[in-house]
Amino acid sequence: MSTFLTYTILGLVLGSVYSIAASGLVLTYNTSGIFNFAHGAQAMFGTFLYWHVTERWGWPVWLALIVVVGLAGPAMGAALHAVIMRGLRGTADVTKIIVTVAVLLGTVYLAQWIWNPDEAHTVGMFFGAGAKITVGGVVVRYHEIVCLAAAVAIAAGLRVLFTRSRTGVVMRGSVDDPDLLRRNGHDPERAAMLSWALGSTLAVLAGVLIVPISGGGLDANALTLLVIDAFAAAMFGRLRSIPRTFAGAMVLGLAANYVLAYLPSAGTFTGNLRVSLPMIILFTVLVVLPQDRLRGAAVRTRERYRVPAVRAAAVWAAALVAAVYLYSLLLPESGVTTFALGMTFAIIALSLTVLTGYAGELNLAPLAFGAVATVVAFHFGVEGTGLAARMNIQGVLLAVVAAALVGGLVALPALRLRGLYLALATMAFGEFLSNMVLRDTTEHHLFGTTFTLFPDGSLVVPPLKVGPLDLRDGTTFLMTATVLFALIAVGLAALRNGGYGRRLAAMKDSPAASAMLGQNLVRLKLSVFMISAAIAGLGGVLMSSATGTVAQENFSFTGSLALLMLVVVAGIGYLSGALVGGLMAGVGSAVLVSTFGDLALANEGMATIYTALGHLVLVGTALVGMGVGRNPSGFVHDIIDGYRAMRDAKPVLYGAGALGAVLYVLALTDVIGTWTFALIALCAAMLLPVVGRSYLAERRTRPVPLELAGVDEPYTDELRARLDRELGLTAALEKGGARVTA
Amino acid sequence: MAEEAAPLLELEGVRAGYGAIEVLHGVDLALRPGSLLALLGPNGGGKSTAMRVCAGLHPLAGGELRYAGRKVNGVSAQDAARLGVCSIPEGRGIFPNLTVRENLWAATGTGARLADLEEKAYARFPVLGERRHQLAGSMSGGEQQMLALSRALGTDPAVLLLDELSMGLAPMIVTKMYETVAELVQGGLSVLVAEQFARAVLPIADTAALMLNGRVVAAGPPAEIEDRLSSDYLGG
Ligand SMILES: Nc1ncnc2c1ncn2[C@@H]1O[C@H](COP(=O)(O)OP(=O)(O)O)[C@@H](O)[C@H]1O
Ligand SMILES: [Mg+2]
Repeated sequence: MSTFLTYTILGLVLGSVYSIAASGLVLTYNTSGIFNFAHGAQAMFGTFLYWHVTERWGWPVWLALIVVVGLAGPAMGAALHAVIMRGLRGTADVTKIIVTVAVLLGTVYLAQWIWNPDEAHTVGMFFGAGAKITVGGVVVRYHEIVCLAAAVAIAAGLRVLFTRSRTGVVMRGSVDDPDLLRRNGHDPERAAMLSWALGSTLAVLAGVLIVPISGGGLDANALTLLVIDAFAAAMFGRLRSIPRTFAGAMVLGLAANYVLAYLPSAGTFTGNLRVSLPMIILFTVLVVLPQDRLRGAAVRTRERYRVPAVRAAAVWAAALVAAVYLYSLLLPESGVTTFALGMTFAIIALSLTVLTGYAGELNLAPLAFGAVATVVAFHFGVEGTGLAARMNIQGVLLAVVAAALVGGLVALPALRLRGLYLALATMAFGEFLSNMVLRDTTEHHLFGTTFTLFPDGSLVVPPLKVGPLDLRDGTTFLMTATVLFALIAVGLAALRNGGYGRRLAAMKDSPAASAMLGQNLVRLKLSVFMISAAIAGLGGVLMSSATGTVAQENFSFTGSLALLMLVVVAGIGYLSGALVGGLMAGVGSAVLVSTFGDLALANEGMATIYTALGHLVLVGTALVGMGVGRNPSGFVHDIIDGYRAMRDAKPVLYGAGALGAVLYVLALTDVIGTWTFALIALCAAMLLPVVGRSYLAERRTRPVPLELAGVDEPYTDELRARLDRELGLTAALEKGGARVTA
Repeated sequence: MAEEAAPLLELEGVRAGYGAIEVLHGVDLALRPGSLLALLGPNGGGKSTAMRVCAGLHPLAGGELRYAGRKVNGVSAQDAARLGVCSIPEGRGIFPNLTVRENLWAATGTGARLADLEEKAYARFPVLGERRHQLAGSMSGGEQQMLALSRALGTDPAVLLLDELSMGLAPMIVTKMYETVAELVQGGLSVLVAEQFARAVLPIADTAALMLNGRVVAAGPPAEIEDRLSSDYLGG
């Protein structure tokens, strides 16, 4: 009985903290329409600040609370709103999600920079762990009482704010129609800023409260994910109702503690289940609770993508294969291996292009499908042992099929869901997989066989061998991955241009309208999800074998998020965006960070500077991600537009080609280094459109042909007059201004 | 019109657009105190854009916006509302996820009292009183428009801007709405109405203006404009 009571109290306490965190999330979602994935990261950052002032500077707890929870928390939220979030009105769900994901990643990187993760940071309970009372034989600490009281007070306060005060009503109105609020004499930005400040404060408070009750150790990644667990509670209230969020948080906290109390503690199962329980509950709640109806009107968003022509895609694909081959000749063995790894990431990125770019759905855990495929390939496709071990093609095919099936299974119950909820379902799945499968190192006995899903916590994945094609060789691996990327890309271009692709585009623009036209949305979503998962699976197996030995970290949630963010930054609607984003995720930051790490080791005097630069690169990529709100179509879009304009500037193109060839020969003959070559080539490629534009501007003496007048410029009176003049309509115009019946 | 009072709301040579595309090419309009001005014209003519300019929601690229003779170019919509310009947008000017009462509450941003607003709204449209705790988005189109119009009843504005009051409503309800508007005008309110369907509003209008391709091509007594309308754009 006393066990039950003890665990109930612990459950309620955990539930209280979840409730505080979740209500902050509900608050910001309801006022700005932005689901803040960075909520956990804000909690984490605030808690580190709290640690810093109490432990490092020795401030008393009350002062630390006032400064961190009372001042830094709201300031952080208000700043987020002013600098980033207010720019997100009128963007697609994807863009909103990615920007908050970028904030999450940036905050985590920043925290790891400021507070060395290798040192221990612990936060103690309020009044100390020894301050407690005993009620009915159960020990309750003061800290726990504080948690409970704070949660009840906050839930009640928010409920009153939302329904009994005009400020709260205005906050809720600002998500529907900010312009209408202005017409009513309110300032929607003030309401939104207030809610971000309040939400951020609640996040920080939740962080400071939860760390001591979950062990006291402070870790940037772990704490961020811990608060993400509160998403499940918010979902109980459909992201709207505060009382239901409160109830959901309590269910979550109790369930987690009863699992610990009553399931067998042998093996890794119970521990893993305890960790993944919130995500299991999140998935269940998403699927079971009633859904929002499809939106009636098409959403007018700011993202614009061009559709690739199949022929152009094929030409570019061939050019890519040739360029990669030529470039690989310049690289040392290790460089080829890293490049190959990047190319496998690019393949995974293609799965995002088809799913998000073409169909408008989101998958927050692409690497999880790669993990599924890797596990299957490892168990069914490896022949031989040691250095002679090879993966066979059947294993890879089976892995791809398995990934597609699992993708279908995950998506099937979630198909009725709108973008955000489907994204959360994939996140829940990814976390579940990461905790339950990739940590499952115990032996299972099933149908008379004994197996371990993830022996020793890591898998050695050998390279693929098909007939004479042996991917043990670095260059062969790189070229095979590149050719696969090119083939899939051309296939996707063909898909997008066909009837299926148009149906996807219609669904993306207006689900309601395409449902009304008789489209079977469920089948469409399911199929595109499976295609996407299959591609992610293929890329995942290749990525694992390029890495050699993979563990849970290789498929982590943050890894998936970083990949997704970089692809969006590059342009998720473009195949080339997948290439650039994938390469950046697989090669870019890894290479830069390790280069700076090596430099720091080599020159001790400059070590701090180099280490700082390494951190700066990571924070910098996240900053770029936050900028996505300004340019939601991605930077590849701008570059492509630049090149499109250059079709008339043939001399510039030829000149650039010649320059490239000369540079390449210089690099091949070791006159200039590989890095120099890469940097010059990259800069030249970026600058070319600028050069081309000035060249074209110089030549633009010829006027625009008549049939193109007014197509991409404002329709001025001058232009109208010119049209009339050249069409001989002068007389008609003079007869009477009002008679222009166009 | 002999003794013309100075206009309460005036557009002079107003240009405005979306991005590089200019939509209003120099619009002139004047709303006299206590009168109803009907802004007519086909779809896409720029009526809604002009209304947004008047409400302070859309920046001017040229020309002048004047309230009671004072140039107020660049006025924010909040300030316009506080100065007594009540504007009701095209479509439904309500918050669908708030209840009827909460909608009225949000309408008190210009200084009115909730109790007054409720009293006047429920007296005029009893159905709103019955539904005060219902989500506004779940009401019928006509009821939603009544709610939107209630803002003009209770907040005591100087100028009312109405965009396409008739959109998507049954003729009966449109007539009833315009009756309410006519009463407001009799009470001294100045109203600018943008309408695609001239028949609904011409009977109660004091002046009418015809807008085509971003210009006001004619303005004058309703009867005159009606003739012009049928010959010019309805084609007889
Ligand atoms: N948000 C917008 N972005 C770009 N163009 C717009 C936008 N809204 C309206 N337009 C264009 O401005 C012109 C005038 O529109 P509008 O003012 O709504 O006319 P009306 O209300 O008379 O139908 C139309 O050609 C329309 O296409
Ligand atoms: Mg209109």
